[in-house]
Amino acid sequence: MGRVARVLLLGPYVLLLAVFFAIPLVLMLAISLSRQSYGQMEWTFTLQHYAHFFTDAYYLGVLGDTLWLGALTTAASLLLGYPLAYHLALTRSRWKPLLIVFILSPLLVGIVIRCYGWMILLADRGLINETLVQRGWIAKPLPLMYNKFGVTVALVHVFLPFMVLSLTGVLKRIEPQLIEASQTLGASPRRAFFEVTLPLSLPGVLAGSLLVFSLAISSFVVPILVGGFKVHVLPMVVYEQVLSVFDWPFGAANALVLLAISVALIGVYIKVTERALRGIV
Amino acid sequence: MILRAAVGLVYAFLLLPMVIVVLAAFNAGNYFTFPPQGFSLKWFANFFHRREFMQALWLSTELGFWTAAISTVIGTAASVVLVRGRFRGRDALNAFVTSPLLLPQILTGVALLQFYTLLKMQASYAALLIGHVVVTTPYVIRTVTATLTHFDLALEEAAQSLGAHPLRAFFEVTLGVIKPGVVAGAIFAFAISFDNFTLSLFLTSSKLTPLPIELFAYLKYSFDPTAAAVSAFAIGVALVLVLGIARFMGLEEFTGF
Repeated sequence: MGRVARVLLLGPYVLLLAVFFAIPLVLMLAISLSRQSYGQMEWTFTLQHYAHFFTDAYYLGVLGDTLWLGALTTAASLLLGYPLAYHLALTRSRWKPLLIVFILSPLLVGIVIRCYGWMILLADRGLINETLVQRGWIAKPLPLMYNKFGVTVALVHVFLPFMVLSLTGVLKRIEPQLIEASQTLGASPRRAFFEVTLPLSLPGVLAGSLLVFSLAISSFVVPILVGGFKVHVLPMVVYEQVLSVFDWPFGAANALVLLAISVALIGVYIKVTERALRGIV
Repeated sequence: MILRAAVGLVYAFLLLPMVIVVLAAFNAGNYFTFPPQGFSLKWFANFFHRREFMQALWLSTELGFWTAAISTVIGTAASVVLVRGRFRGRDALNAFVTSPLLLPQILTGVALLQFYTLLKMQASYAALLIGHVVVTTPYVIRTVTATLTHFDLALEEAAQSLGAHPLRAFFEVTLGVIKPGVVAGAIFAFAISFDNFTLSLFLTSSKLTPLPIELFAYLKYSFDPTAAAVSAFAIGVALVLVLGIARFMGLEEFTGF
């Protein structure tokens, strides 16, 4: 393929990305280092917005909560996703395509709709509470929504498919002969799982966890709808600063903190998946 | 046996909210209780009679169509180079073109909003469309790349040695073979755009609201099942699109397992 052909084919998208993705991100960095007075940008160099963020107990608390929710979501997704991925990787069932649809379809259904489903279930007058109260099992509704519990449940639901996809990819590449060999050598199925399958699937576990964690800490639809603005997370602060308070530099600085965490995670993620793909597991 | 039961429960967890939304959409009552209070289509009627929902639905459909069309063309072109080209910096370029996929969309949204505002093109149709193309094209590239890697280059060379112009060989042979991946990529791009919320939130105005944004605005103030009808409709659209991908590419190929 000649140079001209390459440029013609690749050029449009690379140019689009450079102008409408790379430059805006650089601009956001510049804004986070500038001042704003009376709605006008003053292009200066200051670290005051970052200093503000890292010295204010409220924002540090928000950052802590964000990371904590991310960790909870990741752990729960792993716990629920592993059996699912294991089953999907090994099954010879003719229903397999249907199972893939089940896993994929939540991904293709908008996030607002999925949150709404959880709101119908978890609200004070929602399906679960209403049913329990009517049966007389509880006197007043359980606090299922507008708190960290509800947010975590919905976050796990939203990001579980990513975990399953990451895990299945790795589990499927484990040679069945390895497990058979360990069993021929006298290992129980349980021991074969813990000493062969599980260690070999660790790259998938790590990749899936990094992906889910980085998606979970940047989600703000779930905290807004299921958390009802009562669970404060970093992306929500970004959203409020940029779209309600109109404090662009501070909003941009918040976004950059989130960006730094994501980029670090993505870096590790790429290293992990590359190694897994090369087969050095 | 325990594994099967556990797997069944997790599938139930995955599907539950969507099943509930669909049931609530056909339920007669204002609150969804169990057992349901009877079948009714009134929430759908309300959805189809509300101007703002109809305008949003039309905008989302049109936007999804144009997004899919543009991202499929430039994404397929880029994939051809990324799979076949042998040049320095290919790996770096590969990482660059898929980076919108890895970066949280709220960051892309904020960055684009500030960029557009300084250029005085915020909340325009073009701004929204470009934003969508930026985030959907990596999906097209990934899907098309998957089919292109299986393609036997000898076929195209055979066409050329039989006298076909390289361009003709590409359009008549290669494109014919990778068509499933291209179509699946296009459908996926439409789906991503049609359901996109995070990016759209930063790029829309009161005059330019796609369906997910309209639904979000509605949910902030009211809880009535019209929202369920809108959601059930969107779930129906998603199902049709998944079936489309399954039909053209096969889901095992599409997901890589």
